Parts: sequence; structure tokens; C-alpha cells
Amino acid sequence: MKIKLVFIFFILFYLAIIIRLFFLQVIYSPANKTPYLKTNKLNPIRGRIYDQKNNPLVLNQNSYQLYLEPKKIDDKDKLTHLLSDSLEIPEASLSANINMSKYWVGVQSGLTQEQKDKIDKLNLKGIGFDYQTKRFYPEASLSAHLIGFLGKNEQNEDVGYLGLEGFYDRDLRGLPGFVETERDIIGRPILIGVQQRVEPENGRDLVLTIDKTVQEISKKKLLAGLDLYKAKKGCVITADPKTMAILALVCLPDYDLEKYYLFSEDYYKNSAISDLFEPGSVFKPLIMAAALEEKKIKPNDTYNETGQVSVGEYNIKTWNDKYEGKISMTRILEKSSNVGMVYVGEKLGNKNIYGYLEKYGFGQPTDIDLQGEVSGYLKSRSNWYPIDYSTVTFGQGIAITPIQMIRAFASIINGGYLMRPYLVQKIVSENKVTEIKPKVEKRIISQLTSEIIKKMLISTVENAEAKWDRPKGYIIGGKTGTAQVPIKGHYDPSKTIASFIGFAPANDPKFLTFVVLYEPQTSPWGSETAAPLFFEIAKQLIVYYNINPTQ
Amino acid sequence: MKNFILRTTWLIMFILVFANLFMFISGIVLSDEINNFELKTDSLRKNNLTLEKEAANLGSLKFAQEQAKKLQFTNSSLPQSLDKLGYAYRP
Repeated sequence: MKIKLVFIFFILFYLAIIIRLFFLQVIYSPANKTPYLKTNKLNPIRGRIYDQKNNPLVLNQNSYQLYLEPKKIDDKDKLTHLLSDSLEIPEASLSANINMSKYWVGVQSGLTQEQKDKIDKLNLKGIGFDYQTKRFYPEASLSAHLIGFLGKNEQNEDVGYLGLEGFYDRDLRGLPGFVETERDIIGRPILIGVQQRVEPENGRDLVLTIDKTVQEISKKKLLAGLDLYKAKKGCVITADPKTMAILALVCLPDYDLEKYYLFSEDYYKNSAISDLFEPGSVFKPLIMAAALEEKKIKPNDTYNETGQVSVGEYNIKTWNDKYEGKISMTRILEKSSNVGMVYVGEKLGNKNIYGYLEKYGFGQPTDIDLQGEVSGYLKSRSNWYPIDYSTVTFGQGIAITPIQMIRAFASIINGGYLMRPYLVQKIVSENKVTEIKPKVEKRIISQLTSEIIKKMLISTVENAEAKWDRPKGYIIGGKTGTAQVPIKGHYDPSKTIASFIGFAPANDPKFLTFVVLYEPQTSPWGSETAAPLFFEIAKQLIVYYNINPTQ
Repeated sequence: MKNFILRTTWLIMFILVFANLFMFISGIVLSDEINNFELKTDSLRKNNLTLEKEAANLGSLKFAQEQAKKLQFTNSSLPQSLDKLGYAYRP
């Protein structure tokens, strides 16, 4: 009897289990069923970007995507009315977006925690949130062109575009992980079932060479400069000339990183690396340094500047068509004499001119760690006419990028080393820190030539024809530049690219700054636009770096 | 002998039933704990991001500028210490 009772007990017990399983697996609505084997993708956190002092420039923040499940909505009108208030979306467009025949409708992504909480309080049926992260920029668009932005690819995955986000996308992105667990009916893990978890590898953080204060000074001054000189656009690049670590890189106009999609593609272009320009007179010191290095000239050699110089069918003249007679090589730079530079070019020789242009890296990308760099254009030597060798000595007839210009200029004041410009000094992963060291590409001129050209550039600033409001007590070297803009095969005298490149303190340069203004309207000359802007920036940098006066 | 086997069988059955029950209940308790930890970790991660954002905002130049404006720093002092060094040294 007892055995029969036990037998009946077990029969009933198993029957109950079978009925329950039948209920759960067959009758229970599939729409409400928690998957038995649940595989979740574990998204890595995208790497953050810091400046050289570990101040954050790009972080991540919580974000939510609001979605609707139309089948569960009780009152569509009430829901659209309340949501349109909270999301500030017109009621009509929200209502049109809700297709009642669908199971899932995405409404808006990028909602903040506060917005989510506000909508949660409405207690609406048929709404839900998907968790996401999005980029957060504590310094707003201070470094828009540098950073680039995070967009989507065709598979709706996050992809970095342009700047650092584009160049270091693979490092920043990280690797996704996954978790696979057997879950019970209310979603709890079943411990004796399958449990597999592969942790995601978070994206690597980038520590830049950029100093956000230098960046801020550069941006503020450039903005004021564009306004004051009515220029179309402009760039300021500041670097450590010894290492070519970029301390600031700003081009304006730029765009709002948070709302990049509201801007046209033209705004995304970083002129410092993507725009070609004819450098004009800022190029002269490069040719002068080459001639000094080849011992074709000495600083005190003289040139008899008597008037215009003819090269083939072309006449070359000075910027003001005034000539001083016998002048030294240093004076050629001081008064920015085009005819004097033609003389230096002739002394250097065509083969050497072309050879040094290649040595300075023109026609090749600098390999700066930013997405979107162009290589510039250096036509092959067989296509050069005699006039090309003359005009290139004063920076016309060659197309380069601002970053190529500052790199080449750094090489003549740092002892002759052509360095690779770089922005990232450390890549930090969860268990490893990779340091990126300055890289010498090649040596172009000797230490002696470098010291000579530095003295000539100091003299160029001190004895320039224009008088600037320079920081008193400091020795600064530099050179102005004014290049006419070629339009349809001719130069338009009303449109110029004004520039100034300078360094301080000249005996042991702490910074090298290149200022370029495109088509300034108040004056076409670099000496009256870019140069004053440079000195405004230099004054602030001298205070910031606590550099002592030496005079 | 027969009684002994019967009792031992019952005893083993009881032990097995209770062991099963214990494991079942322990499993549920542990599952709950795992679930709670998952939720807490998730919540901590979100809080971390929020705090990181707040800390970054407080250290930003944007915030410093707002404070400077609020404290009328630009109106009541002249930071042009290069040309007018006296301002830098004035107590």
C-alpha cells in the first residue's frame, strides 16, 4: 500500500512538471517569454581622450534610446501629447512615426538620464529605453578638428570619423565581449546550466601632446583675429620645435562636436592638414638655410639689389618695388627681398633646391596621427621650368599644407632634425601604457647652420620693416609671409594668404607657432595681420610657460 | 535485514530529496544574488560615468570662465602682467 502511495505521489509529481513545462514551452506567449539561452553582447566602453595634463577632452556619458511597443499602447493620443512635450518634438511628426502595426518603433536616441527620468515619471504604457553611451566633450568644441566625431556606419555601429577619432578608431573602439547564460522564466541565471562570459576589452585612452590652455589661447586669439582682420578662415599651430609634439592646433571656422550633423562637410575639413596653400615668404628661411648648409653663401655676404630681376619672360620684383643696393643675406630676410632670394637660389643651384624641397618632406605626408592629411604637391623635376626654381625661393609655385610648413621650419631651428609631428604621447589600455616617443625622420642641416639661421630670424623680427607690439624683454625669431592666391592660372592681388611663423625664446625655443589667415580684408600683408596675431598669442604663451625675459 | 535495507533506502531517499531541495533553494538564492550584483554593477557603471562627467565639468575651462565672469574677475583685475608687470607684483 505504502509503495503504491509513493508510486502515485511520483506519478503526480512528474505529471505536474510535464504540465508546467507544456504551459511554459507551448502555451505561454512567445512574445513574453524570456529566452532560455540568453546571449548578450557586452559593448566595450570607447576610449577617452585627455590632454597632456590629463584633463579630459572626450569622455563617455549615459544615454538612452526611447522606443515604443505600439501593440501595448492604450491611448496613442495621450502618449503622443505627453511625449511631444517631454521630447520637444511636434506632436504631428511623433504621431506619424508611430506605426500601430509594428512591434517596435524607435523614437529618439541620445536622451540624457534626466530626460529618461522625466519620461519614466509619466508612467506611460508601451514605452521602453535602450541603454547606450555617447561622447561627452567637457571643453565643448575647443578642439573640434583635432578630435573628429563619432558617427555610424552602414551596420549602425559607432565609427570614428576624421581627426583622432578617425585615426585611432581601432584603439578607441575596443573589442566587444559576450555573456551566454541559461535563464529561468523570470530571467535569473540557472547555475547548473551553461554559463559563459567573455569580458569586453574597453577602448584604449589617448593622452595627447595638446595642452588645453594653449589650445584655448590659440582659439580665442584666432577668433578675435579673424574678426579683426576680416579673414575668411585661419589656422594656428603651436608645436615644441625640438620634438614636433603639437601643443595646439586650431582652424576656424570649425563645427559643434555635439551637433556635427548640422554642419556641411566643408566645416569638417582641417585646413592645417588638408588644405594646400602657397606659403610665400615664410618659405624663404628654408632656402636660405639650405644655401648656408651647402656653404654657397654666408650671412654677411652681400647682394647688390638694384632692381627687378628677369627670369625668362617673367620679371621678379620686391613687394614694394624698392631696392636698397648692397645688402647682406640677413637683410634679404629682414626686408623679405624676392630678388635677393632669387640670387640665393641661383647660388644654391637648381638641383640642390629640388633636393632640399624633398629633404624638407614636401610632396610627402608628414604622417601626423590625424585622419584626413593630404601630401601636398611637388611636381617631378622634369616638369620644372627655370622660373619655378626662382619663384620657389620665395615660396610661390609650390603647394604645401600648414603642417608641412611648420615641420620644415622646426627642422631649421632645432639643429636640423626633421621630426614626425605627433599628437598622441600615450596610449593607455587596461594593463599597459604605450608611450610614443618623438621620431627623427632625417637630419637636414647642421647645428651650426641652425644657429646661424636662428640669429638671422631674430634679426628679421627685430629689424623688420613693420613694427610690432612685441613682448618686451624677450628675443623672438620669425618670418612673415604673404602669398597671392592663384585663380585660373593668374595671381589675384586682392586675395592673399597672410602668415607668420615665429618661435620664442629664440635662444632655446619653447614653442614654435605658425599663424595663417586666408584672405584677410583689412590688409593683404602678413606683417599687418598674421604677425600681430602671432605676438598676441606669444605674449600669453610666455606668461603661461613662465618664461623669463632675457633682455 | 529486509527492514534495514528498506530503512536505509528511505534514509537515502530523504537525504537525496533534502539535498536536492537545498541545492534548488541555494541555486535560486545565488541566482538572485547574481542578478542583484549585475544590476548593482550596471548602476555603478552608470553612476561612474555621471560622476566623471560632473568632475570634468568642474575642471573645465568653460566652468572656469563662467566662474570668472560670475566673480567679475575680468572687470576688477587686469591680467596684462607682461606690459604692466606692476599688476603681477602688487599685493
